[in-house]
Amino acid sequence: MKLAQREGILITYALGSCIGVCFHDPVAKVGALLHIMLPLNMEAGRKNTLKYADTGIRETLRQMESKGASRSRITAKIAGGAKMFEVSGSNGLGNIGQRNIESVKATLRRENIRLLAEHTGGTVARTLLFDVVSGQGCIRSYGHEDIIF
Amino acid sequence: MNLNSYDQLNSLEIDTLKEIGSIGTGNAATSLSQILGKAVRITLPEVRIMEYNEAIEWIGGPETVTAGVLVKMGGQLNGIMLSVQQLDFVNMVLDSMLGTHIEDYSQLDEMGRSALIEIGNIMISTFINALSSLANISVDLTVPAFALDMQGAILAVPMAEYGGASDYIMTIGGNLSCEGREMPCRLLLSPDIRSLNFLLRKLGV
Repeated sequence: MKLAQREGILITYALGSCIGVCFHDPVAKVGALLHIMLPLNMEAGRKNTLKYADTGIRETLRQMESKGASRSRITAKIAGGAKMFEVSGSNGLGNIGQRNIESVKATLRRENIRLLAEHTGGTVARTLLFDVVSGQGCIRSYGHEDIIF
Repeated sequence: MNLNSYDQLNSLEIDTLKEIGSIGTGNAATSLSQILGKAVRITLPEVRIMEYNEAIEWIGGPETVTAGVLVKMGGQLNGIMLSVQQLDFVNMVLDSMLGTHIEDYSQLDEMGRSALIEIGNIMISTFINALSSLANISVDLTVPAFALDMQGAILAVPMAEYGGASDYIMTIGGNLSCEGREMPCRLLLSPDIRSLNFLLRKLGV
């Protein structure tokens, strides 16, 4: 997770089934970019909080609040959750991307964070850039035009 | 002893996996020679247990585009095996099989793609065949899946599926040498942790 105040562009590379969550408080000018890999933290002792959607989002919000951000102003944008390989048959891969999307959205709802925009699913990896000042996100993918969201 | 994550492997266990890797990649190189009609040798087989970020840097950065062929293992060994095909390797395959050459992956056509899947599938299957006869276990393989994308996202697949609490990844590889050219051969064997314990037990360590 990366956090910046007043200025900065945060970046996370090559999101496949992982999800990048951009948090923004326009008044306190605090922004954070969280990169989660798995939907739910079921570790004993719950280390690695930032790797999971549920504990990662809560921990990021906590750190933003300690920088002066306010829960009622924080908004989110998300990108990722692709399915990189299509393995056919009953022995196929579980769709972790989809589960990540659902868990991120459920956690944001539970924490009362408004989801402004999303660019999720599909089969293409994304690099996500996030401008802390404007709250604008940019998605870079191989073989596609950049997307501003 | 039961392992909880890859980074707990001791040196004897790593040596055993190296041996498996060496035999498996040797077999894969032989089948590659047969299908390409060229002598392909594998030099310096190696097994590395790396943290995810370290693995990404080692393989050439997260945003670099690469081709990946993935096969899911089932039966007595659960997990996935991934063949990461970088441009040098791709061109060796295309040149031998189709007489074509690409400057970058966007020039890859349907035939080329199909050739890469087949080559990846053959290398993985030969590797797993060698492994299963050594350990005397039976492993089922799915049909191969293919992706052409940023390698950071491709490498994250075994992590997300089987990494669980650990951030480590196991790569088996070395350099392939073919007609005086050397290129990296990158195979990733990612058994789930239960299967890794089972495999080591079967191999007597």
